[in-house]
Parts: sequence; C-alpha cells; structure tokens
Amino acid sequence: MKTKRKWLAVPGFLALAAAAAMLSAYAGASSSEGNAPAQPVAFPHSLHAGGNMKINCVYCHFSATKSPDPGLPAVGTCMGCHTVVATDRPEVKKLAAFWNKKEPVPWVRIHKLPEYVHFPHMRHVNAGVACQTCHGDIQNMKQVYQQNSLNMGWCINCHVGRSNPPLKARYDCAVCHY
Amino acid sequence: MSSDSKTTGVKRRDFLKVIGAGTAVAASIGCTSEKVEKLIPYLVSPDETVPGVSTYYASTCRDCSASCGIIAETRDGRVIKLEGNPLHPLNRGALCARGQASLQGLYNPDRYRGPMVRRGGKLVHTTWDEALKVFGQKLAENRANAQNAVFINRHESGNFPSFLNTWLAGMGMPTALSIDPDADYAAIAANKQAYGVAWPKLEFGAAKLIVSFGADFLDGWGSSVSQQLDFADARARIETAPRLIYIGPRRSLTGLNADQWINARSGSELAIVHMLGGGGTVSPEQAAQESGVDVAILTALKAEFDAAKPSMVLAGGNTPRGMELCLAAFNVNSGTGAVGTTITSTGAVNGFEGIDSPAQLRVVAQNMQAGKVPLLMVRNVNPAYGMMKSSGFANAMAKVAFKVSFSSIPDETTAMADLVLPDNHFLESWGDAEPVRGTLSLQQPAMDPVFDTRATADVLIAVARAAGQGTFAAGSNDYRNVMVSRYPGGAAALADALPRGIASGTTTALAPRAAPAPVAAEGAAPGSYALIVYPHPVIGMGAGANKPWLQELPDPVTKIAWQTVAEMHPTTATKLGVQNGDHVLVQTSAGKLSLPTYVYIGIRPDTIAVAAGRGHADAAGRYARSGSNAFDLLPYAEDRSGAIMLSAGAQVTKDGGSTRLATTEGSARQHGRGIGQAVTVAELLAGKTGEGVTEHVSEGEVELPGDASHAFLPGLRSPTANDAQGELGGPPLKSKEKGMYSPDHWSGMAKRRWAMTVDLARCTGCSACVTACYAENNIPTVGADWQGAKVLPDRTGFGANITRSREMAWLRLERYYEGGEDGGADFNTRFVPMMCQHCGNAPCEPVCPVYATYHSPDGLNVQVYNRCVGTRYCSNNCPYKVRYFNWFGYGEPNRSQYAFPEPLNWQLNPDVTVRGKGVMEKCSFCVQRIRETENRAALEHRGVEPDEFTTACAEACPSRAITFGNAADEKWTVAGMVNDRRAYHVFEELNTYTAVVYLKKVIHPAGGQA
Repeated sequence: MKTKRKWLAVPGFLALAAAAAMLSAYAGASSSEGNAPAQPVAFPHSLHAGGNMKINCVYCHFSATKSPDPGLPAVGTCMGCHTVVATDRPEVKKLAAFWNKKEPVPWVRIHKLPEYVHFPHMRHVNAGVACQTCHGDIQNMKQVYQQNSLNMGWCINCHVGRSNPPLKARYDCAVCHY
Repeated sequence: MSSDSKTTGVKRRDFLKVIGAGTAVAASIGCTSEKVEKLIPYLVSPDETVPGVSTYYASTCRDCSASCGIIAETRDGRVIKLEGNPLHPLNRGALCARGQASLQGLYNPDRYRGPMVRRGGKLVHTTWDEALKVFGQKLAENRANAQNAVFINRHESGNFPSFLNTWLAGMGMPTALSIDPDADYAAIAANKQAYGVAWPKLEFGAAKLIVSFGADFLDGWGSSVSQQLDFADARARIETAPRLIYIGPRRSLTGLNADQWINARSGSELAIVHMLGGGGTVSPEQAAQESGVDVAILTALKAEFDAAKPSMVLAGGNTPRGMELCLAAFNVNSGTGAVGTTITSTGAVNGFEGIDSPAQLRVVAQNMQAGKVPLLMVRNVNPAYGMMKSSGFANAMAKVAFKVSFSSIPDETTAMADLVLPDNHFLESWGDAEPVRGTLSLQQPAMDPVFDTRATADVLIAVARAAGQGTFAAGSNDYRNVMVSRYPGGAAALADALPRGIASGTTTALAPRAAPAPVAAEGAAPGSYALIVYPHPVIGMGAGANKPWLQELPDPVTKIAWQTVAEMHPTTATKLGVQNGDHVLVQTSAGKLSLPTYVYIGIRPDTIAVAAGRGHADAAGRYARSGSNAFDLLPYAEDRSGAIMLSAGAQVTKDGGSTRLATTEGSARQHGRGIGQAVTVAELLAGKTGEGVTEHVSEGEVELPGDASHAFLPGLRSPTANDAQGELGGPPLKSKEKGMYSPDHWSGMAKRRWAMTVDLARCTGCSACVTACYAENNIPTVGADWQGAKVLPDRTGFGANITRSREMAWLRLERYYEGGEDGGADFNTRFVPMMCQHCGNAPCEPVCPVYATYHSPDGLNVQVYNRCVGTRYCSNNCPYKVRYFNWFGYGEPNRSQYAFPEPLNWQLNPDVTVRGKGVMEKCSFCVQRIRETENRAALEHRGVEPDEFTTACAEACPSRAITFGNAADEKWTVAGMVNDRRAYHVFEELNTYTAVVYLKKVIHPAGGQA
C-alpha cells in the first residue's frame, strides 16, 4: 500500500506544479489586466479626453511631465468647470456632494505597479511615449480598465527596442528596481 | 532649496493642511492577491508642491543647544529626511546622528496625541479648550503666590526665552530656568569666567598640539558638529596636522582619535595641568605620583608641550573638580598665548549663553520639598530622570500641588504632571536661534503637526489673552506674528530670509541667575574603584533614549547597542573573575546596579565606566526602557560651578548571571588583514605608503598573475568581471555580447563608474553616516525587546536580535585596535566605515542562483529585492560581510517585529523599497539618488554635473571623510581622490576590485613631526 501511494504522489505533485506554472504564465495571475472596477463617480474619460473636448491629459494629470508621479486632479480642478458645467447630471451631483463635504473622491486605483518598481512618468512622457502606450485607448474608455498587463516582460519589450516605432531605453535591473 | 510661501495672507501651514495624495488599502477582490487601493486626490492642489518631487524647507535643529541649520526634505507634506544647511555657520551642511534622529522625535510612536489632564489619578485625553481652561484657572488660583511658581525650560537661544520671560513676568512669575542637561556646565561656567563667552571657538587648524583633559569635543561636548568639521579639516592637512594627546582615565571617542593616550587617574588631571604651566608648580614627579602615570611619559609630555607652539589645552567639566580644571587649563592657555590664537571668542558658539546652573534644579527640589512651590511648569526637560534619585527631585516634585508639562514625548517628569499641553516638534513650529552672535538661524514648520499638539508659545499667548493680559494684544495672536514683529524688516524680510534659513540679526541675551552655593561635594565616598558616568555619545543624558535609531546605533567606542554595560580593563575583569557579559555588582553610596561586563583596553584598571542615558521608567516610552540607569549609582554632588558630578567611588564585585552583549563587533583586532590601514607622517614624507596586509601568500599557494598584493592598482578597474579577472577570465567578449557593458553601447552607462573614497585621516568614527543611512534607506531597527523570538534565556530583552548578528545597518563603523595587546596602556585605533564595496569582481554575484545580485554597467553591485529568494549564498561569499538578511518581516505592519510603528512609518523614503521577509539587502550607493539626479538632468536636457549629488552618508558626514561620485570622469572630485598616495582597497589581495577606496589613516607619533 505504501509503495502505491508513493507512486501516486510523484505524478500528482508534478501535475500540480505544471498546473501552477501554467496558471502563472498564462492566466495573468500576477497582472490585473482587464481590471475595470466601478468608481465612486463614473468619470467618463471618453467624454473628457476624447470626443469633442479632447482635453489634454496633463491638464488634469498635471505632473506627468515633471515628476515620477503623474498627479491626480484635485477635486477643485474638477469643480473648476463643474460649478457651472453640467451641474444637473447625476454623476456631477455626486462630485459636487464630495466637494461640499470637503471630502476627496476615493478613486479606485487601476494601474498599479508593485512597490519595488520605480516608474518615472516624466522620463517616459518626455521621451515621447504616448499615454496610450501603457494606459491603452484611454480617450475612448467610458469606464477605465487596464488594457495592458504592465508585467515586466511587457515593459522590457519597449526598452529593448521591439516597440513600434522602436524606442530604446536602458533595461538594467537597477534602472527600475531599487 | 525651495522657497517658503510668501506671506500673502495664507499661512503655509494652512495649505499643507490639504489632504495628501496617498493610497489606502481597502479590501481584496476576487482571487488575486492584489489589494484594492484607493487614490485619494487633494481637495485643492497646493501650488508649490509637485507630487512625487521633494520640497525642501530650511530650518533649525533644536535637539541640542548648538542649533545647527537643517534642510528638511518633505514629500507630499511629510518630512522624510534632514540634511545640514550648507549656509549655516556651525554645521556647514553636515548633520550628526542626533540631528538625523530628531525625525524620530517628530514621528515618535509614544508622543502624546493631544492634551492630557489628570483625572482620578490617571492622565486622560482632553480637548485643548478644556486643557487651556484648566491651565488658566490654575494660573488665576495661584496668582497671589505666583512669585513661587517655577518654569523649567529646555535651554535654547533665540527669541523664545525672552518671549517666555515676558509672559512669566505678566503672570507675576519669576523668569524661567534655562536648563540643558547635556551641556557641560562646569566648562561653560569656567569659559564664561575665563574667556568671557560660554563656548569659545576652538581653532584646531591653528594648533600644533592639542592636549585634551577629558574634553570630548567629538562626543557631543559643546557644538560637536562644528568642532568635528574643524578638527577633521586640521587633521586632513597631514604634514602640518595637529597632534592630539588625550589625558584621562577612559578613552572616549575623542580619546580614540588621539595619537596618544595618557591614562591618568580620575581626579588627577589637575596635577598634570599644573605641571604643564599656568603658574603651577607641580613637578613631573609629583604629577606622576598623583596620576599613576609613568614619570617618563609626563616628562616627555612637558617637553613636547613646551616645544609645540601654538598649542591648545582643553578640559572637560565632567571630570572631578571640573571647573578648577577648566580654569587651570585657561591659565596654561593664556601662558602659552593660545588664547586668541587657538581658542578665540570670535565666532564663539552662542547657543550655550545664558544657561542656568543645574544646581538651580536642586534649589527647586529643596523648595518643592518644603512645600513652597505651588505650580511647576516644565518644557522639554526631564529632571525627574536627569536629577538622579539621590537628589530627591522626583520625590519633591510629587509635593507640588499642580504640575504642568509642555513636553510632547512622555517621560518620567511628564508622567507626574497634572496637565500635559504637548508642544509641537521643532519641525512643526516657528522659532529662531542664535547659533553665533549676530546670526539668526530661522526655524519654520516643515509640515503640519502630526498629532493634536500646539506650539507652547501659541498656548501661552492664548492663555494670556484669555486672562486679559495686555502684552499679548491684537497683532500678536500667534507666535509667528511675534517673530515677524521682532524680525528686522518685518514679514517681507523674513519671508525673503526663510529659504536660506539664516539671517543676520540678534536676540535679547538671557541673563542666567546667579548660581547658588554648591552643596558640599569633594571627598567622593571611598571605594576600590573610581566610577565614571559619561554622557552617551548619541543618547546624551537621556534625551535620545526614545529614538530607536540612536538605541540601535552601536556606541562608537564600545560598539554596544541598546544595553548599559560596566566597562572595565582586562586586568580588572581577570581580578573579578568575569568575562564579557558576566554581571558585576557596582555599588556606591547612592545605590547599586547589576551590569554586564564589557572588557575595554581603553580604561584604567582602577576605573569602571558606565554610559548615562538609558534605563528609563516605563512611562518614557517603549524604546527608552532599554538598559540601566547609570544615574542610580551617583550620589548627588556638585562641583564648584554647580555642575552635577558624574563620578564617585564604587565597590565592584562579581554578580550572578550573564547577558549576551548586543555588540556589532566581531573582533577588535585586525589579525593582519589590513582592513584599516595607516601610515605615519614620516613615512608619507619619505614617499612610502605605510602598512598593508601583513599576511603573505604561504608556501604552496598559487600567486595569481596581477595579484594586487604585488603592485597596488591605483584607481578603479573596469566594471566587468570578465575584464577584472584579466587573463584568468574567459575569452574577451565581443562588443555586442557585452551589451550595456560595452563602452560603445548607446546608453553610455558603462562610461560611468560610481565610486567612493573614505579618508581615514578624517573619519572620527562618530557614526553620523550610519544614522543617515538608516534614514535614507528605510533600514529597520531590530533591537527592541518585542522584535526577537524569545528562545534562549540569555538572548531576550533589548538587543536580542543583535546578539544574533541580525542588525541591518548597511553601513557600519568598524573599530579596530592596534597595539596594547601586551597590557601596555597606549594603543592606536582605526575607524573603518564599512559598506558594500561594489566590487568590480564581486564574490556575491556568481553564487546567486536567481541572478538577484549582479553588476550594473555603471559600476553598481545591485541587489534586486524582487528576484531574491533568500538563499543567503551571497552573504556567505561576501568577504566584507556587508549583506544583511531580513530574518523577520520588519517592514510588514501586521507582524510583531514591525520596525516602523505608526507614525514612524511616515518617515519612510518613498523612493526606496521597504524590504520584506526573507530578502537580502545591502548598501546600494544610494541608487535612488543616482536615478533622481539622472531624471532631473534629463528633464533639464543636460548630463549629470560633476559633484551634483552625493550619498546620504557623505552628505551627513561631519568630518567630510566620504566622497562619492563618478570615478570615470575626472571632473568629479572622487576621480582624483581614488589615486591619492594613501589609497588602498580593503582585501585587495582577493582581486575584488572594489569601488570603495580607503585613504590610509595618518599617525602622528610623538616627536615624529620635527
């Protein structure tokens, strides 16, 4: 009986290992690709960044060209227009409610790199990498979702010059990991 | 340096009050391990900050009376790092370990969250309205008896003391006592009498010979940063550097930096000073008789001293009869013409002016005991601890009807208070200091208060206005306005000066009270040993004990962290039958303590030394409890000046039990390995390079071609391991195969070689670099008693993890002794800051099975945390032992070993990953600063400028011993220094081709200068 069990355990373990490897490789276990959570205020990027308005991304994400941090628009920035514009819309009313309570909007984070990765936005933006390269077709997204895996292999693909058009960047580990 | 807000009606404090953009973990989704995080925007964007980019505020460090200038780096509204202000006349850009650690005072987890009031015998939380009402009532109740109220303030220069005295006068109260427990009051009293200033400027550079009688000018005695800068500059002149002789029963850090130590008996220093001159009539024979030093040594000292002009004699007041000694030293100095040349009153340190005698606290204790004090107010002083038990201060304080504390960190004194009105930390409040007469060092809030605390000045104004006191009428509704009104040129001029942090101007000088007649002192109780209690080099007289960085920092001399030990000479230990760690019972007329033995060759056999500052009551917070309170051993006695004597006669016997020492030291000896090398001045002048590695290749071993022990390889080798191995490496790679390692590669990374030099002729071993590294690189402290597993009975309590060599200091200060093995008194010391050497041919790299450590093309030995699986092979293979392993989850908030309990984690550098459990880490050459500078340069469309930035250790170093930069570009300072005549690599015989180059220490033997 004992020997039988042993013989069962070995292939069983192998199968488990293989399944785990498959999962991590193909199921995107380490990526939030496709993640599209509901936001406290249904802000349509398609209306603001696309459509007729085509507001420049850095109008709201004001530090993307000068800081590692792209900058999240203050509630005051939204209210700069929405004290007069579209004040009757239900979502804008939600926004105004936050503003009146002097509370920030608790946006749900979608694009998130692990803490051991340092991604300087300004280096990318100033090198001519379009926002869409990483964030996808953001100007047409009614609800934002993560279009790309943002995994390391995906990053490296551009850094070694396999993007179209080819861009080159340093791909030494310590450029991002420290 | 960015500017402070122009005062346009909006207070800077107000617009920092917007909610910082941050993330908060809320819940998990689905089956992925990722947490849902929130992105919290600002409500209104502050217009002078950019998220992710640091804002810098110039301010003033108030952790000691010297008042150095600081630059506070803030990120998203939080201070994350302090640097020295390069424009400040005292610290000139450097900052000591205590200054670095003042951040842990700001973010101390034990700080009061808000005002507290005593109800039913316990301190309970209350509101500011309520607390101010209680305070106002008590002031009114005691109005008739107000002249007997006592206000004890932490001594400081600047406008606040005179403001406080105005307030006290308005309340009918006497002026505040201005107390600095860390100051050497005997020396200050003597200086005032002799030189006319409290702390004259010590011109080390002008002296040829410095004789220090227990004057520990590198240990926090006086303005240690400025003294260290001047001393290091003087010593760096090599051929004309002054020789330093240290005289005293114990070698302190200053003593270890001396070229010669004369181990005079405690209390005999006066005889030797009189032997040197100043109208003294003591012969070398008499001095030898009294001091227990060989007469030949003293005769030689006298001869050398008489020949060396100009010289400098310094005396410390913590020696018995301190004031007489300091005055005698002055007499010698005026006899040799040193006064005005090597010791001058121009440029004197102003911070110690106006300090009150500690004997005033004894008078307060007597009055309290007699029931004469109706109201006691204390601010940032802890006399219930600092005034030893034998003074009876704490017992007397219990008799005071109402006690108010303005301290924001709990301590023994505050625990007895009836009302706590916590002050803001200096990084949260307005103020100024006068570090040098005529120069103001400005203090501005670098962030919003962490807790519900209020600046004491604002509290006093509020109370006075509520009481209808006219002095604080409209226009001075808060202290900032008071500051503006006193500032020449008003608000506009102040706003203009704030970004620089210093301005010319002066403040009202404090008039200290006449010192009371000292209580009978002399005639210390007899004992077979002389007990010396000395201020801990970083913890001082106790104020630093609640900061884990300072507790974890190994004492620069003993290398002991977290513990209090009894230091004794090897022959004493043999006589008592004890070894390192065995307990001895130290008994004096005041009390007894069972302390672990620490065997130290730098102490006289008839002397026992114990560091002060540790062993606080539980009330003083979670960290301050560590160690034992050396004050318990001191019978209360004052010297002539009113300073409290820190020595006594003691009986020492072997006690049961043993504690494993929390030391970071492996061996105190180099065993011929040539880690800290030295050269004598004579050898340098003769063009020789001095000592090296004394172990030679033994018979049968193969001598490698190109072995570094054959010929010193100047400078630095190529970064690729393949190149470094020379003909032993594989066939040369083609340019394409080398990738980024090729100098032709488009990224140009291989054209850089980040490197560092450490000048051992400058390094004093003060360890400021170590604390700076902790602050910059999110290094966890591991020594608290709850951070280690309690398995072995002798490895529990504070420092237990350190007894297991689990300390995490990326940069450690090694201290080695040379000579003195034969029991001879004198020996030489080498201090070696040891960090990752970033070897060109690194032994750690090939053994990593997962490629988590590798060599970058720009010369860094990189540790990739997310690749590391924790095999620790790299650490095993590292000859320098500079890799540190995360045995526990020091960075994980849900673990008991968490090293950053809220709000200590606010200090964490967002540019550096907080490492998880099971990961190896080590010095990264501050790669985050390299990247930040590269990013900044790229934004400005330029290359990185020579010497544009430096590492945290080099930036803080108060001896300017560390230089960092790109050694491949000759425009950087470091590129020239790596080829210095004194340059060597540690373990260069291992062919590691390190990027850290040490410059040999220079020894100045007696008579070796001619």
